[in-house]
Amino acid sequence: MSAEDTLLYLDGVSVSFDGFRALNNLSLTMMPGEMRAIIGPNGAGKTTMMDVITGKTRPDHGTILFEGETDLTKLREASIANLGIGRKFQRPTVFEPHSVWDNLELALKAPRSPLKTLTYAISREDRARIEDILDITRLSPKRDRLAGSLSHGEKQWLEIGMLLAQDPKLLLVDEPVAGMTDAETEQTARLLCDIAGKHSVIVVEHDMSFVRALGVKVTVLAEGSVLAEGSLDSVSANQQVIDVYLGR
Amino acid sequence: MRRALRWLMAACVAIATTSAALAADLRPLVQTMGSGGYSGTEKALNQLSDAGDPAAVPVIEALQAGDLYVRKADGLVVIARKVGAGYALTDPLSGAALGEAAAGAIDRIKVNNAMRRAISAALGALTLMSPDPAVRRSAADAVFKSRDANALDALNTALAKEKDERIRRAMEQARAAVILTAGASDADTQAAVATLAGRGDRDALALLSMIAASGASDTAKTAAAAAVATVEQKLMFWGALQNLWYGLSLGSVLLLAAIGLAVTFGVMGVINMAHGEMVMIGAYTTFLVQQGLRTYAPGLTDLSVLLALPAAFLVSGGVGVIIERSVIRWLYGRPLETLLATWGLSLVLQQAVRSLFGPTNREVSAPSWMSGAFELGGLTITYGRLWIVVFAFAVFAALLVALKRTWFGLSIRAVTQNRPMANAMGIRTARVDALTFGLGSGIAGLAGVALSQIDNVSPNLGQSYIIDSFMVVVFGGVGNLWGTLVGALALGSLNKFLEPYAGAVLGKILVLIFIILFIQRRPRGLFALKGRAVEA
Amino acid sequence: MLTRFFLMGLDRKAGLVLTVLALLAVLVPVMTLIVPEGSPWHVSIFTVSLLGKYLCFALLALALDLVWGYVGILSLGHAAFFALGGYAMGMYLMRQIGPRGVYGNPILPDFMVFLNWKELPWYWLGFDHFWFAAIMVLVVPGALAFAFGWFAFRSRVTGVYLSIITQALTFALLLAFFRNDMGFGGNNGLTDFKEILGYDIQAPGTRVGLFLATIAALALSYMIASGIIASKLGKVLVAVRDTESRVRFLGYNTESYKLFAWTLSACMAGVAGALYVPQVGIINPSEFAPASSIEAVIWVAVGGRGTLAGAILGAVLVNFGKSYFTGALPEFWLFALGGLFVLVTLFLPKGLLGLWAQLTARLPNAKGPNAKGKNAPNGNTADQKGM
Repeated sequence: MSAEDTLLYLDGVSVSFDGFRALNNLSLTMMPGEMRAIIGPNGAGKTTMMDVITGKTRPDHGTILFEGETDLTKLREASIANLGIGRKFQRPTVFEPHSVWDNLELALKAPRSPLKTLTYAISREDRARIEDILDITRLSPKRDRLAGSLSHGEKQWLEIGMLLAQDPKLLLVDEPVAGMTDAETEQTARLLCDIAGKHSVIVVEHDMSFVRALGVKVTVLAEGSVLAEGSLDSVSANQQVIDVYLGR
Repeated sequence: MRRALRWLMAACVAIATTSAALAADLRPLVQTMGSGGYSGTEKALNQLSDAGDPAAVPVIEALQAGDLYVRKADGLVVIARKVGAGYALTDPLSGAALGEAAAGAIDRIKVNNAMRRAISAALGALTLMSPDPAVRRSAADAVFKSRDANALDALNTALAKEKDERIRRAMEQARAAVILTAGASDADTQAAVATLAGRGDRDALALLSMIAASGASDTAKTAAAAAVATVEQKLMFWGALQNLWYGLSLGSVLLLAAIGLAVTFGVMGVINMAHGEMVMIGAYTTFLVQQGLRTYAPGLTDLSVLLALPAAFLVSGGVGVIIERSVIRWLYGRPLETLLATWGLSLVLQQAVRSLFGPTNREVSAPSWMSGAFELGGLTITYGRLWIVVFAFAVFAALLVALKRTWFGLSIRAVTQNRPMANAMGIRTARVDALTFGLGSGIAGLAGVALSQIDNVSPNLGQSYIIDSFMVVVFGGVGNLWGTLVGALALGSLNKFLEPYAGAVLGKILVLIFIILFIQRRPRGLFALKGRAVEA
Repeated sequence: MLTRFFLMGLDRKAGLVLTVLALLAVLVPVMTLIVPEGSPWHVSIFTVSLLGKYLCFALLALALDLVWGYVGILSLGHAAFFALGGYAMGMYLMRQIGPRGVYGNPILPDFMVFLNWKELPWYWLGFDHFWFAAIMVLVVPGALAFAFGWFAFRSRVTGVYLSIITQALTFALLLAFFRNDMGFGGNNGLTDFKEILGYDIQAPGTRVGLFLATIAALALSYMIASGIIASKLGKVLVAVRDTESRVRFLGYNTESYKLFAWTLSACMAGVAGALYVPQVGIINPSEFAPASSIEAVIWVAVGGRGTLAGAILGAVLVNFGKSYFTGALPEFWLFALGGLFVLVTLFLPKGLLGLWAQLTARLPNAKGPNAKGKNAPNGNTADQKGM
């Protein structure tokens, strides 16, 4: 497959920490508009993969291209985010001393330089956009609450809302339903599927029922490289996958 | 002790009697100096010189200075020095006072130019052949400095007799200096230059470069110029080595000050701004131990530094445990607040010591085995510094062993790596915290014992080390004892190598700037831990 | 746009602070210059200068709080920026002495004559003009802060490491300014000032004028700071304080945000130093001592980190205490100051204003603390994570 048509193109990416190989010759491609679930045992390199895509960790070797041309390994986090790659952390990370509204306002797609933010005045469209997101994430009634006072599930949703406000081309979502009730999990799955229509999404998740609810192509990582790829049913049937992950 | 004293007194008496006996033999010779005019005096002088008895030296010196007279009344040869209107007379050999005389009652023994040479030669010969090696040595050094050609014969004579290797060398060097100044055959000149190049110190360099610029012959000039180059190189080598030693010495002081911090900051992650005060408390403990020994056991004063080591460790460590239990344990995970609280503690401790002991410096004297110095090649090494270097490395090694090999060290590492798990395994984490902090503080106390030997023991003692200590730990890499070692030695040497060019203060400023820039390049220090844990 | 910026920062607390400052600006000159000396309402010139000094410290505390309280950068070297501003002003004041120095040299300050210098070093040129010195008061601390911050923030030096190297910075400057050949008066610093802008620096009128200038600078800085905090920029700064990496992943270049606040803060500290020097009549290297920087931190901590009013309050209170104790019980002062550090961090992590907010929040009819997030980054939400 050539890199040109892809949204995200990882080829031969390796990262090691003190001799431990977190990523080992990892190759992966994502097409525009695609949604992908990534599963794998602990230490398979799922979070490290997100780190190298978002610029938090520099790979030792390998190529990472965005939209077939931009080399992500040369860029810092902020520039990568501004290219249109949004990230949701495993542990919900929101700005706790700010209100829900302010959290979304900070995430909202807008000029990011200090002087621009100093003189920023919220426009009618921006206000409408935030209202929209508040509705989507069902946080409307809590818009003035401090983010720190939200429940765990609400924080997860707020963070997804912030991703939406960022309006990225590619969303990286790390364990979005960790610690959620079944009902919340189901809502989250529906929310992500809605988003997937307009954006490309990579979801890392342990929860098999959630992955099944998403109903998308699955990549199984193990020991820093791709073990199998395909529909959930096909990878579930893969003997290697059963051995290293599902079977246990 | 008493026996030694008695022996010493006996020896003194013996020396006094022998010199009296010799003096008796010289007396007729001295007496003849006053008669026979110039030739008689010169003859007597030569005989005195040949007798080879240093007791004659004051007589000849007085002759040289024009202080030797003959008393007209009885023809006695005396030394006379002008006092008021008359002269005070003394016996030239024994130095006993012989009363006073009017100017008309004595005659000066006159000296002509030919005799002056003989006098110098006689003096040189007598001191160069003195039975006392120290006198011979200083006589040789004196000739080296004066480069008096008259001394050449005496030098040759003395060299023929000299047995002591070191004095021989000094004499040869003196002879070389004389030969180079006066001029000699090419072969002799070459040999002399070689001798001086072998000496290879600043004096030799000065002499050689003088000869190179304006020597007696062209051969001397070229030979000297070549020797200057080698001596300069040699001096540079020893200079660099001396700097390295100073750097090692400063580095070991930094290491001592920083190593406790490497435990509290590096291992526990606690920013203890009162660390310097732990050092200060250790120094004051040394002072107290010494005072106590002086009062109650004066014989043991020389051991006070050794006895102060456990005392300082316990006192500073105890204060550390109290601080950890009362303040720091409430602030775990809030490093910046810990920094502020411990800074406050440092102010309190400083003021407390100031109130107790007064603001002035306290005297901690060095034991005899720590004072003095010795030479090693071109290096001068003081015992005090040497012991501190040894001590710093010993403490470092002991700490390393304690952390790697003991159960306590294992618990420390377990608690720092995974607190809940350590707790679950039955390690009493709170106790380990307190003891670890106590260990770090106790080591600071040990540093205080060492620093009391080279620095002023005052309430501000710790203040002057705290910034340096943090620089060392941060530079070396937090959480890595070896990093602290390398950091301390590197910063110490850097400081000392910059000092000759930039001066002490500017050198220090440059080191600080270097560290600031270095931290920008490698925010986690020289030996950074790499990995995901660091990022979090 | 500018008015909107300033209005944005104006909440109830800001109103209170500005009112107090305005009252001081009216009352103090009247009570000093108009109320006769015998009256119990008279304020002596000494007191005016003392108050002026406290307000300079308040401005330094405000600057420090801007970076520590809102961006989470604990600077242990802010006194360096203060002192640099002070030296810039001191150099102007030295040039104003003219031939009235002990040696009567019309160009060279006394200490240079004493050191046998023949001409003014190049970096003293221009300081005979007030406007030039005034610019330098901002530019020198600002440029140093910018250069230092540019390197430090880009290399992601944070937390304790950053604090320690700010301390190293001020320590290096301390050593440097002690050197005679730096040309800043060495140990003794700059002193024996005569005139400022042509007015006798000892005259009561000048003193009151300097006091008013300090109030004006403090009020303006307060408005700038609260305007920034209320803006979206301020929200980004607080977000950086608590979770910097999250802000990066939103596409903000956090380094430039920190650099902005850091440089601005250094400029404010420089202004504080410049106003301090003519009021106390001397500037010497001891202002660079690491201890003075850390003392400024405790002012902020006492008043309430992350509340601008708290910084001002803390600076005034602690310095009042210092003046009192060093006069009455000099031995006790270091115990008190040291104890303050310990007690505040242990028992009052949000400072006096935080305590006040907690107390009022317990009252049944107290207003909810979060009326539309405007005062969100205030004491009641200052979070420990940024520490």
